[in-house]
Amino acid sequence: MFSYQKRLQYPIDIKKKDLRMAKFLVTQYGGSNGELAAALRYLNQRYTMPDNRGKALLTDIGNEELAHVEMISTMIYQLMKDATMEELREAGLDAHYAEHSRALYPTDVNGVPFTVAYFASTGDPLADISEDMAAEQKARAVYENLIDLTTDPDVIGPLLWLRQREIVHFNRFKELFEYYEKMLNNNTSSSNQNMNVNNSSQMNSNSMNFNSQNNATLEQLLMNSNFSDISQGIMRD
Amino acid sequence: MYNYNFLNDQWYRNMNYNSYRNTSMPSLFTPVEGYNNGNLFADLYSQYKNYQPVTLTARNDKERILLELSRMAFAAHELNLYLDLHPEDTTMLTLFNDYRQKTNDLTKQYEEKYGPLSISSDALTQAPFMWEQNAWPWEVQRNV
Repeated sequence: MFSYQKRLQYPIDIKKKDLRMAKFLVTQYGGSNGELAAALRYLNQRYTMPDNRGKALLTDIGNEELAHVEMISTMIYQLMKDATMEELREAGLDAHYAEHSRALYPTDVNGVPFTVAYFASTGDPLADISEDMAAEQKARAVYENLIDLTTDPDVIGPLLWLRQREIVHFNRFKELFEYYEKMLNNNTSSSNQNMNVNNSSQMNSNSMNFNSQNNATLEQLLMNSNFSDISQGIMRD
Repeated sequence: MYNYNFLNDQWYRNMNYNSYRNTSMPSLFTPVEGYNNGNLFADLYSQYKNYQPVTLTARNDKERILLELSRMAFAAHELNLYLDLHPEDTTMLTLFNDYRQKTNDLTKQYEEKYGPLSISSDALTQAPFMWEQNAWPWEVQRNV
């Protein structure tokens, strides 16, 4: 289950109203590369990860993304606070006002409502994790665009911080991807064809990179999984 | 009790580079640097253009405890993500537990003085119901 902590992961204290920036920032709330899509992506994909590393990492990063949803929402709320009708109209937020008044609502920068079609969940760990890596890179790029669009240090600070989180998450997903990829290669070369990896002259470059700590076969990996029926999906022979 | 006035983090620097020195271990920022940067792992840090991360400071005691708590919680969280993929790394596990313990101590201190941060807090025994009394995180909290 989830429980709430009554604090932000990183402090937000925006003193200047900026309706234009609020309108742009909303894309990292309800846009295709936004934090809400990230949270739902990882929290849906985690169930069919083949081992505990994947289940733990997707749970923990998915959970952190919810904290980022709260940070972005807070930024939008503070940027829009006390806006007059005239200011809303000037920034093009009168359309938002028609449906939502000054309330938060997850849309992209053009007001298109959030949709779960922004992410996939295939049940294949390599497909899912490579999507996650791409998602982190796209979010990093969007944060850089957003930083370019403002000069307010109160806004730039949290955006720089969130951008850095995308970089850390990307690297964690990349590590997990490479770990599962090795498992799959090991499975096809050593257990299906019953070859000794160390003596084989036919081993491919991936299996040469094995370090002893990771030297478990995919079958062993799957045996430890509680979802072996689901995990069969990644056994390719 | 944890001393949250320890804003000079030389101690963590020494711990990283001396007593915890280990060739296979990634190089870490201190909790203060890591929290400012949004990244505890020096090898992963990547600057955008010439922007520098904000050096976060506290204006009063409440903010000081909350800032130190956030630093420790962030450092523990970064190691949590790392340990998910390296569950046998005992050096990082020791460091994780150090940051986790400090987070818990600071949470207790903060809650005793300034009210609950979670619904399982011990600071919820007196009426009125303190959970809804303090400002919510998205509210602007100047001159607190």
